[in-house]
Amino acid sequence: MTSDPTIWIVDDDETVRDSLSALLDSAGYATETFGSAQAFLDGHGSDDVGCLLLDVQMPDMGGLELQEKLREQGSDLPVIIVTGFGDVQTAVRAMRSGAADFVEKPYSETAILDSVQLALQTQVEEHEAHQTAQQFIELAGNLTPREREVLDHVVQGAPNKIIAYELDISPRTVEIHRARVMEKMQAKSLSHLVRMAITAEIIHPPQG
Amino acid sequence: MEFLEFMGQAAPYIVAVIGAGTALAVVATSRSTLRRTLEAFHDREERLRSVLATVPDAIITVDDRGVVTAFSPVAERLFGYGPGEVIGNNIEMLMPQPYKEEHGGYVDRYNTTGERRIIGIGREVQGMKKDGTVFPMELAVDEIKLGDKKFFNGFARDITDRKHAEKEAREQSRRLAELRNELFHVSRLSELSQMGSVLAHELNQPLTAITNYVQASRRIMERESIEVPDRVNESLDKASAQAVRAGEIIRRLRNFADKDEGGISPEDVGAVVREAAELGQIGQGSTGVKVDIQVEPNAPSVLIDRIQIQQVLVNLLRNALEALAKQKKARVQIAVTTQDDGDVGVAVIDNGPGLPENVAANLFKPFLTTKSDGMGIGLSISRSIVLDHGGDLECEPSDGGGTTFRFSLPAAKKDGAKNDI
Repeated sequence: MTSDPTIWIVDDDETVRDSLSALLDSAGYATETFGSAQAFLDGHGSDDVGCLLLDVQMPDMGGLELQEKLREQGSDLPVIIVTGFGDVQTAVRAMRSGAADFVEKPYSETAILDSVQLALQTQVEEHEAHQTAQQFIELAGNLTPREREVLDHVVQGAPNKIIAYELDISPRTVEIHRARVMEKMQAKSLSHLVRMAITAEIIHPPQG
Repeated sequence: MEFLEFMGQAAPYIVAVIGAGTALAVVATSRSTLRRTLEAFHDREERLRSVLATVPDAIITVDDRGVVTAFSPVAERLFGYGPGEVIGNNIEMLMPQPYKEEHGGYVDRYNTTGERRIIGIGREVQGMKKDGTVFPMELAVDEIKLGDKKFFNGFARDITDRKHAEKEAREQSRRLAELRNELFHVSRLSELSQMGSVLAHELNQPLTAITNYVQASRRIMERESIEVPDRVNESLDKASAQAVRAGEIIRRLRNFADKDEGGISPEDVGAVVREAAELGQIGQGSTGVKVDIQVEPNAPSVLIDRIQIQQVLVNLLRNALEALAKQKKARVQIAVTTQDDGDVGVAVIDNGPGLPENVAANLFKPFLTTKSDGMGIGLSISRSIVLDHGGDLECEPSDGGGTTFRFSLPAAKKDGAKNDI
């Protein structure tokens, strides 16, 4: 995260854009406003950090279509769908396309600010998780094939004796490999190692 | 032919003749005169009999005690008796209870008071056939006086069919009235729902702006450490809360209208269309417009809210009739066909003047109308109904002028589809 987040407001109603911008500005956010979906597509950079507030009902391209278009383009910017006409279908469609939230107009200021804050926080967390995963995969690349095998067993929760049996080596050797894995993976503890492995989706968290 | 002759020793001779449902008195001064008169009468009697045979009414003659003295072939057929079976019996045998019992009383009352309840008036009564079947008939009774003797001629007609038709007609008009009420109710609700949607959109924007501005002001004062009385902050909070509340009210109004959704069920599309066409022409006077309904014989049932779809059809038909008001050879065609995808397509095609371009462009937008007495939400409601049914309402110029509206309805069961409804 190198820059401060920007909140992009896309709404065809000028007073809504302007007032929402004023509200977010008063809460300390940087904002940019766009009068149409196309104006946003033309006007924003690709590697921005921030969150989108999209109105559903706009001429030509509505908020939901813009959201779907951004997903198709591979954007993972969090999107909050804002609508003056909240029906179930719209909400379902928005959420299915990965909207961070769905807010009905008129909203209380806490509803919209909480929603924006949560979306940004999720984005930060996802960003961090992404970095953790990247780092984990990178570090795992430095492991020897044997160390990698030990890692796979360790993060599944297997005790040393079982690993030794499975890999047909002595428990003492497992211990040595294990210490080296922890060191190379920069893991502070076994649970830290497991958490990183889950984030990197090498193993799946226990169901239930 | 029966002749009853009452002949005295001296002139005038009085002859009473009772034939096929007729009674005549002949007065003659000599036997030869009488004979000639009788012969002449015989001819007339024959002619009369052939005329009477063509009368569709059953003709029954009774005396003043109710004993049947003549019973026409039509009467025999009507009541199911053989020739001669009824004559000489009391007319009560042709009546079901309780009339059978009361008839004697009616006859006595008339004989003593002369008060007419049916004689010369005629009314609906019930008859009973030989096999016991009771049926409605219309009965007219005439009184004939021959000297001091009274006879009564009854002309009876079976009105079972007519009664049946009347009942059907009553039933039909009751059903139509019901449908109209339903439609009226639904159209009010749809209008409310549509108004709610429009209000929700149009009013929620400024309401949103109000809360945004108010809360922005409050936060800016807070951030800039501007000292304001608590009362000001409270008031700002309350102001934005009220704007949110106004939005809630609009939402509730819309939800209320939306909740009253009729049932979706499989319907015979032909019946739905025909009924709607009937409804659409009610109260339009004689428009001179030919309404032609063509339903593909094998069109599948459709899964719809009947009332809502009929509302769409009525609306489209009325629009077409209005557009055709001054047209010669005006025609509206409602065509129902099965589409390639298995759903059912409905088209309402008129040969009117067609839509001006500026109207066509804004056709489905609420509150736009070319009519002086409309709210301009008919087509917009129709479209949202069709959208709710998973289709779309489309408008295009008809071949050879006029306008065509099309929409599709989901088939209840598509050919080859495995899931039963």
